[in-house]
Amino acid sequence: MKSKFLVLAISSLIYLGVACSKDNSQVIEPEELFAVPANFPKPVYDFSKNPLTKNGIELGKTLFFDGNLSRDGTISCAECHSQPSAFTHHGHDLSHGIDNKIGIRNSMPIQNMAFQKEFFWDGGVFDLDLFSIAPIENPVEMDEKLGNVLEKLRKQEKYTTLFQKAYGSKEITTERFLKALSQFMLTLVSANSRYDKYVRKETGGTLTPDELEGLAIFKQKCASCHSGELFTDLSYRNNGLPVYNKEDTGRQRITALEEDSYRFKVPSLRNVAITAPYMHDGRFYSLDAVLNHYTDGVIESKSLDSSLKNNQTLGIALNKDEKAKLTAFLKTLTDEEFLKNKKFGI
Amino acid sequence: MLYSQTFSGGYLSISIHFISKQIISVCWDMIAYIIKTRDYTFTLMKKFSYLLIALFVSAIIVSCQKDDAINPNDKNTVTLEFDNRVGDQKLVLGTTTAKNALNEDFTVTRLNYFVSNISLKNENGEIVKFTDKYFLVKHSDPTSWLIKLDNVPAGNYNQVSYIIGVDSLKSVSDVSQRKGVLDPASYGDDNMYWSWNSGYIFFKMEGKSTAIPPNMMNTTEYQYHVGGFGGMTGKTPNNLKTITLPMTTTAQVRANTAPQIHIINDIQKVFSGVNQISIAKTYMVHAAEAGIPIGQNYAKSFIVDHVHNEKD
Repeated sequence: MKSKFLVLAISSLIYLGVACSKDNSQVIEPEELFAVPANFPKPVYDFSKNPLTKNGIELGKTLFFDGNLSRDGTISCAECHSQPSAFTHHGHDLSHGIDNKIGIRNSMPIQNMAFQKEFFWDGGVFDLDLFSIAPIENPVEMDEKLGNVLEKLRKQEKYTTLFQKAYGSKEITTERFLKALSQFMLTLVSANSRYDKYVRKETGGTLTPDELEGLAIFKQKCASCHSGELFTDLSYRNNGLPVYNKEDTGRQRITALEEDSYRFKVPSLRNVAITAPYMHDGRFYSLDAVLNHYTDGVIESKSLDSSLKNNQTLGIALNKDEKAKLTAFLKTLTDEEFLKNKKFGI
Repeated sequence: MLYSQTFSGGYLSISIHFISKQIISVCWDMIAYIIKTRDYTFTLMKKFSYLLIALFVSAIIVSCQKDDAINPNDKNTVTLEFDNRVGDQKLVLGTTTAKNALNEDFTVTRLNYFVSNISLKNENGEIVKFTDKYFLVKHSDPTSWLIKLDNVPAGNYNQVSYIIGVDSLKSVSDVSQRKGVLDPASYGDDNMYWSWNSGYIFFKMEGKSTAIPPNMMNTTEYQYHVGGFGGMTGKTPNNLKTITLPMTTTAQVRANTAPQIHIINDIQKVFSGVNQISIAKTYMVHAAEAGIPIGQNYAKSFIVDHVHNEKD
């Protein structure tokens, strides 16, 4: 009995010690850093291996905006992933990287990363923590070596301080670097469009009759692939684009499966109105061009998605009026709060 | 097995061996003398003869056992030596010139490969595994040719096995599990990691050949990068190769014996182990699918040439 009391007394003392040693200003509700929107699915990212902290996110953000991640110091992540364009590269079909070199793909928006199981148009990367190595080492993007980036950061007092704050010691390691970038990217959640407020029945969530009709058309004709609240089923499909670059076989580059040739990730449609150009190679400059492709431009091929083959007709049947209403609906997916949130900028 | 077929080294064992042989010979002479003369008259002598016999027997036991007894508590290091060669030539990067079976000349400027999941099998069929140990053999770095396996239990091992590559479990592991040779930041200009298709380059061989036809990239260099662990979220090609090699001379791990297993990797076979690779046709391999025939070839390029069992 006596010993039990002793254990209790000691443990409460330890508890008190821990509780009191905490600086109250540092106590942050985890929801403040990352919260799953009420209408969203469960995150795919395993937060237990990289718990978000205010300082971790701050470090990640600093890295995201730092040109030192590229060979010659000119290209930061934000160069091709800029906030006003939902963290993609506005105005370029194919993203421009170092020495103004042009890649083979249109950069994708960085948003709702916690909910993706694979990254890039071909899904070649399966872990957000491994994602950042690709643009850093791509010769036409940042053309740098990961090891060199870490060396450059180690020489800057700014970073030794930021790493110290985020991880409790100054060491700059691959894991810490990549996970800090993940932390910042994970916070880039876009879920406050007018559409979201409409489905969550929040103030400001009113859709016009045209937009509502557009939503109904969308559900009927588009949502088999652009499904759920992420507006993608995360699959890879051939949507009947004429092949402009034979070399870029999409998902097939990863799986080597014949059936995957010219299949690309079904992209999310969140913020779609402001993330032109469209498609993996940025060939369409407007939503009109995209819808015209689906009504008139779909090309038959072995791997063409079955949902675009109905009897003998290819593509999706939409008249002019339906297209206008669909476009009106798609514009309700623009999340101004996300695009203007000062938290995401420097 | 108590008898060793290999030569033994080390002063201690030689001297023990020598002394016990001397005792046997002296004892034998005295016993022979007693039997021959039937001189049992002195009790003292009788007693002495028992002592002699006892000494004789124990000396024989010591002599026969020598130091070959396997004490299960003993441990020592086993070293795998990876000796990269081109046919019957020494491999000097950028210098040694050879020809493949299709008579195409080639040099080698880079040769790197991962070795993991090493295991040793002893004569009783028991397998010792060396888990979570990953090595990168780089021909440019002679220290990497020797792979040391510590704390191997005493025994006679007649088979060694390893994977060329990084197994699928490690290939999908959290970035915190990627240290040392698995750290993607550790490769510099000699990259061993595919960032666009998450995974390690298991085997990399680059060099020059005059067989390469004029091409758009204006290259005279062949680059064979082979990877592909089978995929995580989707199935992708699998080029993990398990190499299992018998050893005709066993690797005899004892408290005082740390064997070295000398493995020859004949990179000539990279072009012809199973599939004939024409450098003129195949000179740029940077994806799992394209690397399959090369992977099948180097799976056949390794042999155990010999085993050293020198004592400490």
